[in-house]
Amino acid sequence: METLARIPQLLVYGLVSGSILSLGGIGVSLTYSILGFSNFAHGDVMALGAYLALAILPLVSAVGIGSGPLGSLSFGPDFVVALVLAAIGTCGVVLVLDRLLFRRLRGAGRITLMIATVGVALGLRNVIQFFWGPQPRYYSAKIQYATMIPGLGVKIKPDQVFIMAVAISLAVLLHLFLRYTKIGKAMRATADNASLARVTGINTERVVAWTWIIGVSLAAVAGILIGIENKFVTPELGWQMLLPIFAAVILGGFGNPYGAIVGGIVVGVSEEVSTAFISTAYKPAVAFLILILMLLVKPTGLLTRRS
Amino acid sequence: MEQLIGVVNYLVFFAISAGIYGVLSLGLNLQWGATGLFNIGIAGFYAVGAYTSALVCGLPPTAWDGRMVGGFELPFAVGLLAAALVSGALALVIGLPTLRLRADYLGIATIGIAETVRLILKNEAWLTNGVWGLQQIPSPLYSVIHRHTAAYITAHPGLPEWQRLLVSRAYNWFYLLLVAAVLIALYFVLKRLIRSPWGRVLRAIREDEDAAAMSGKNVFAFKLQSLVLGAMIMGIAGALYAHSARFISPASFEPLYGTFIVWVMLMVGGTGNNKGAMLGAFVVWGIWAATDFVTDYLPWTAPQVAALRIVAIGLLLEVVIVWRPKGILPEIGAKRRAL
Amino acid sequence: MRTSGASMSLLSIRGIESGYGDMQVLHGIDLDVEPGEIVTIIGPNGAGKSTLMKTIFGLLKPTRGRIEFEGREITGLSADRVVRLGLAYVPQVENVFPSLTVRENLEMGAFIAARVPRERLDRIYELFPPLMTRKRMRVGRMSGGERQMVAMGRALVLDPRLLMLDEPSAALAPNLTATIFERILAINETGTAILIVEQNAKESLRLSHRGCVLAAGVKCFEDSGPAILANENIGRLYLGGE
Repeated sequence: METLARIPQLLVYGLVSGSILSLGGIGVSLTYSILGFSNFAHGDVMALGAYLALAILPLVSAVGIGSGPLGSLSFGPDFVVALVLAAIGTCGVVLVLDRLLFRRLRGAGRITLMIATVGVALGLRNVIQFFWGPQPRYYSAKIQYATMIPGLGVKIKPDQVFIMAVAISLAVLLHLFLRYTKIGKAMRATADNASLARVTGINTERVVAWTWIIGVSLAAVAGILIGIENKFVTPELGWQMLLPIFAAVILGGFGNPYGAIVGGIVVGVSEEVSTAFISTAYKPAVAFLILILMLLVKPTGLLTRRS
Repeated sequence: MEQLIGVVNYLVFFAISAGIYGVLSLGLNLQWGATGLFNIGIAGFYAVGAYTSALVCGLPPTAWDGRMVGGFELPFAVGLLAAALVSGALALVIGLPTLRLRADYLGIATIGIAETVRLILKNEAWLTNGVWGLQQIPSPLYSVIHRHTAAYITAHPGLPEWQRLLVSRAYNWFYLLLVAAVLIALYFVLKRLIRSPWGRVLRAIREDEDAAAMSGKNVFAFKLQSLVLGAMIMGIAGALYAHSARFISPASFEPLYGTFIVWVMLMVGGTGNNKGAMLGAFVVWGIWAATDFVTDYLPWTAPQVAALRIVAIGLLLEVVIVWRPKGILPEIGAKRRAL
Repeated sequence: MRTSGASMSLLSIRGIESGYGDMQVLHGIDLDVEPGEIVTIIGPNGAGKSTLMKTIFGLLKPTRGRIEFEGREITGLSADRVVRLGLAYVPQVENVFPSLTVRENLEMGAFIAARVPRERLDRIYELFPPLMTRKRMRVGRMSGGERQMVAMGRALVLDPRLLMLDEPSAALAPNLTATIFERILAINETGTAILIVEQNAKESLRLSHRGCVLAAGVKCFEDSGPAILANENIGRLYLGGE
């Protein structure tokens, strides 16, 4: 009975980690639907974002932006600035990678492209290790105390509220972007039919660039949020994230960014709730199990694509 | 003279490793080169083969072990066979849900299985002794050969140093022959298979799966056979590794590196060509070993240098993909395709 | 701008050879389209009609030959560059964006423009009245005839001088075919030249200024549309009976 009593609290943790997975999954879905391949370097892009934020933070503080904590959050405005700059920086890196590598492979077979992304994953991870070493790097040494949510009987930390707020806001912004901006519509059009998009005059290189920008920004932010949640990051972070993110994407339907959101929440919650029954070491195995189950039961995902 | 023997001994050791990677590359070549299957969980099959053979051939758990089962002290050949069978079974488990679907799905599923295997190896100490690993894995004929070489050395006290160095490492020569024998046997078996009607169907599937399906072939069954067979070969490689290293732990099977370097080897050597697979193994392993020497002269710390070496291999892969995706040796039986 | 009475053709194709990889499909095609003309290309399956369309529009690179539009060379230019010059293309299949609405599909037709020309959109709704009431409908949910209207509307948004249609009636029921060709005539009346590829081409030839027959990658006959229709030999070989 005691185990079951822990479940509501685990649900809350699951929502938090699920929001992070959702942000990561959106990028994978977008890349897949518009560029046509699964990006196995996505996790390490998240890690890059997390590490860049750490590197940029002292520079931001030096410029004079305050580091006093914002309300009951564990960080100050300087961190928020660092977060934004890190996202931009990560985008820059990936756009360069696209120019140097992926652009030359535009016509290549899908599996060749995916192997190339595995190579990028390995490269990014080791570049991170080269500059920052294999030991964990800490985001915050302070312990933050969780407060009770009135009426629900579960606790949550201010940082965790921040994480979910960021994830929700970004998801909403993404929706508005895809729905109402010209380039957003062009992205949806390219996802539908890339060849017709070209025939229509849509500048597919620009669409590709925006796909990277959006997917990578979300990934970088997600990586930083992981740093906030876990308090530290390691170079392993990226590869560790791959399995739950892909499980989320497959659950929601490959290529459907909205599905990735749903999938992320489901996987996050499942992973956390599972710790009531099995060892925490096996959390990734839970994601894997969800993955295999989806493939057996409904490989197209719970939310099939709207067309 | 002693230095020369030192080099020779090192080269033997190098060749054993390269040969084991060659076996892995042959397995991947069957899955990817011949059939177009996207397996990025090679390390999982490799690790399972290694552990299976170690547990089958090794000593029973001792008081110092965390283990509770295993260690049947069976002969090497049995270990090899067991390794192949268990790896094959694992491939079956993965292949069943994924092979009817797109390549991406097999990719992520193989990552998952490699990860899960690693988790089990680390956490289920009752079976695997967890992070402390398995020690004293017996090597085939080791005691016999060791007895003879030791006897030889004691019988010749005035032996020149270089001869002593050579003889004391004689077991490695034997193991090298063993690995070479496995490699050559596999090469010929695969050659027959690829040229057989079965192999032709695999290649047809790789070129155009829909066309193959329409000509009435059960594409799924063929893919499954290829995946399982390739995994069995990888399991054998694992067993060969376990018995040469004589100590294995979960850390020996980092999924990303174990898998990744084999892909680089195959792409460099020549996808779809078995000789290419073996060539690639030696070339890339050679590059890897060479970087080990060069890094002594670099001003960075050990973990930095280790990271740099991997970045170098990653760069090698990307360069190959962009400029010479077919690799050094051409694909055997590749028809000129009219798209 | 339309040059009246100029000796320069709108579209001029000389000696085009093209194909897919090792397989050569077109073995030297010459063709002209004059401003404001309707030209229909007919021929059996595999003759290279679609290949020619794709080559003109930059989806395939020709191995030899020259294509000029309004005097400017466009050989091998990529599709999005060709669109900017005043050509538009409606492929035979998959010619709409199914998850976008009607309005959004049309907006995509104006992608290269700075803003969506409202007046043009209104003209297109006039041309295809059923679309007017379905502006917000996802095109993927619409019938074949409605989709074809969206496909053609999308191509017309920026008022191209040359509209290229690949088998516009292919997926349509016979009663809709008449409507589509009637619309094609209406489009032409505004001055747009139209190049049509058709397999069952009676309707199309009837309203074409000129027609040409493509077979095995070469042009083997050319005449005015009605003359080809009246020609018994061609009728038997390529028009599927009388």
